Amino acid sequence: MTDLERDIAQLIIDTLNLEETTVADIPADLPLFGQGLGLDSVDALELALALQNVYGIKLAADSRDARQHFATVGNMARFVEAQRLPCND
Amino acid sequence: MIDIQIDAWRAWAPGIDADAAWRDWASAPRALIDSGQQPSCAFIPAMQRRRLSRLARITMDVAWPLCADDEQLPFVFASRHGETPRTFALLEDIGRDQPLSPTQFGLSVHNAIAGQWSILRGQKGESVALAGEGDTFEHAMLEAAALLHEGAPSALVVMAEEQPAEALRSWIDDVPFSYAVALRVSLPDASSSATRWRLSLHANDADARPGAWPNALDFLRALHDPHAPVQHAWRSRQWKWHRLP
Repeated sequence: MTDLERDIAQLIIDTLNLEETTVADIPADLPLFGQGLGLDSVDALELALALQNVYGIKLAADSRDARQHFATVGNMARFVEAQRLPCND
Repeated sequence: MIDIQIDAWRAWAPGIDADAAWRDWASAPRALIDSGQQPSCAFIPAMQRRRLSRLARITMDVAWPLCADDEQLPFVFASRHGETPRTFALLEDIGRDQPLSPTQFGLSVHNAIAGQWSILRGQKGESVALAGEGDTFEHAMLEAAALLHEGAPSALVVMAEEQPAEALRSWIDDVPFSYAVALRVSLPDASSSATRWRLSLHANDADARPGAWPNALDFLRALHDPHAPVQHAWRSRQWKWHRLP
């Protein structure tokens, strides 16, 4: 797991109040929704808000790729990286 | 006037949940230090526990064992102040121009806890969420009696309050500490060993003042002491609890 993936896994745990879950329980390729970690659509909204607050990333409400970006911690990390790059110039 | 039987009860307050501790509190009531502690609700899977507020956890903790797994019980959730701390946190976010958490927003309504109870316990029947004045407890018992007279063999009443946010404490003076009382009630049955009570409403002619403790906790004292008279005054109303022989 990369540092960013670990940070995002911890962000998920803190944001969604997953008391008995640790970063080790959320490998980068574990599906977050449905089968897998078991998150639902309200969690998705909550995570979008957390990404906005922590990484300054704003997701368009009609983003077709959102489902893909939020599928796993690995996907979220890649998405955050991709969004961050232009701001670091 | 209603007659009602208390078949079982449970209560929670900071540092007090066992029966013996409540017996002690009932004989010498005192203010408890509320430092935000909450029941663990370990009987609820962690993924389902994640959205329970402190008030919801306190409610689940007292209500859960009073309803069997295969049972449907009408549910009366009563709280004068409800999720005031959650609402206050949302208002703070608005004040700071922060976006609101969808979860916090969605669960800030008064019947959210009754809804969570229904989901977690698979309850498909009536549920009522009440917010009254200082005598919300009596109104909740009245509501439960109405459900029993509609035909329910038993009903579950939870009166719960959470200590208000610091900024609201000069207005909210009837929650000395967070607490919840759950009562499983039915219509009086003389063959039962449970205590039976008559609740009657009178005019508060003598201008009596509300007591030192929340009505539900004061009633809990009466459950421990058969001779304690229970009268709860609120504005023009005077409620009298009388233990039936």
